[in-house]
Amino acid sequence: MSSPVQIWRLHKNLHNYLNKVGRLVVWTKIFVAPEGFEHQTPYLVGIMQFDNQRLPLQIVNCEEKDLKVNMKVITVIRKIGKAKSEDVIEYGLKVKPL
Amino acid sequence: MKIRVAGTGLTKFGELWNKDLLDLALDASNQAINESRLTKNDIDGVFVANMLHGKLTGQDHLGALVASSLGIKGASFRIEGACASGGMAVHLAIQSLLAGTYQNVLVVGAEKMTDATSSQITSALMGAGGEEERRAGLTFPALYALMAKMHMQKYGTTRKHMALVSVKNHYHASMNEKAQFPFEVTMEKVLESPVISSPFTLFDASPITDGAGAIVLSTDNGQPGVFITGSGVATDTVDLASRKSLTEIVATKEASGKALKQAGVEIKDIKVAEVHDCFTIAEILAMEDLGFCKKGEGGEFVQKGHTRLGGNIPVNTSGGLKACGHPVAATGVKQIIEVTHQLQKRAGKRQVQGANIGLTHNVGGSGATVVVHILQT
Repeated sequence: MSSPVQIWRLHKNLHNYLNKVGRLVVWTKIFVAPEGFEHQTPYLVGIMQFDNQRLPLQIVNCEEKDLKVNMKVITVIRKIGKAKSEDVIEYGLKVKPL
Repeated sequence: MKIRVAGTGLTKFGELWNKDLLDLALDASNQAINESRLTKNDIDGVFVANMLHGKLTGQDHLGALVASSLGIKGASFRIEGACASGGMAVHLAIQSLLAGTYQNVLVVGAEKMTDATSSQITSALMGAGGEEERRAGLTFPALYALMAKMHMQKYGTTRKHMALVSVKNHYHASMNEKAQFPFEVTMEKVLESPVISSPFTLFDASPITDGAGAIVLSTDNGQPGVFITGSGVATDTVDLASRKSLTEIVATKEASGKALKQAGVEIKDIKVAEVHDCFTIAEILAMEDLGFCKKGEGGEFVQKGHTRLGGNIPVNTSGGLKACGHPVAATGVKQIIEVTHQLQKRAGKRQVQGANIGLTHNVGGSGATVVVHILQT
């Protein structure tokens, strides 16, 4: 779905969001995924609270048992889903426990 | 406001391998027109609700396609508001009648979902979410799972409370021959089925469904019948995380407030309701946000049996989205049909005694669009 131009547009602002510390509000473990994410199941996604906004992000580098409500997390850059039809690899934000 | 429900038509809901979208839309539409005792020449406006067909098959332009296939030459529109497309089409059809633009309109909601794989459907439905949600690999079960976990944390709602919604709606569907799953399930079955997105199991979720519902709406001609007397729509952010609260759907409060005020009735006057139980937690949220019970007490309210047939306020007598099925754009129209049949006392074994005022509640996305209607005899 994402064309090279769409991905270029998204990547332009990515650095503004990197290395930000936030807190984990709530999470779920997904077993049935949308297209492009099937190979990752099961995976963790949560809502993170940053200074003035909340964002939904995947949680990486941990197991579900490591997660606690209100724990600190930090944004990292990771590959998002599988490369689509034009073989452009899409990168984006995820979080890992701090 | 007094808009007559002049006719209703509903297909079987389920995996209908030998029917395509147009078959379903035409079947429901012809039933509704026949029941209205109007002719196709009397219908001067057609409102076609659909969310996914263009994305899944490449066929758009459904307004003209459905109207011309029916042999109706009037104006025709395709309406999309995610899973609230059906309710939205009813709302817009009502506005056209109130404006005096049209006199008799057909509203048909149709969706053909079972030709696609579950990951294709999961992706297509995420069109109703936000861009960050898609990039996080979120799904609609996951978005509602996040709301469920917040509700559990904040109010002590349990998995058992949620499972009871599924058990109750399957019980109601067992009396509905149009339902996709016309059979009962046990609490154990709900709790022990495979997890799709924690804490939800498969039986917390509405299914992938083919189906269509249609109604004919007309201006009041002074004859007795069932009337829509209130119609409210409200919207909120498309993405869940941006909302102030993750444990309420504010648009439900706003849409129901508008609809009740327009109808001149209070929530305590409602005798039967069809609400948007796309996931079990959604029915619990609806009970609270519509005002049937206090915030945080939705789980207990269900557990006490108030919402079961025979209770104070039977909810989702059709079986709801969970057990009757959820062909997304057909759902809002089907809700109007179920409440109309209840008010006409033609709901058979699932008839709610004394039902004279009913409510429908149709949600798009994770709460970004809500449409509420009030029906009265």
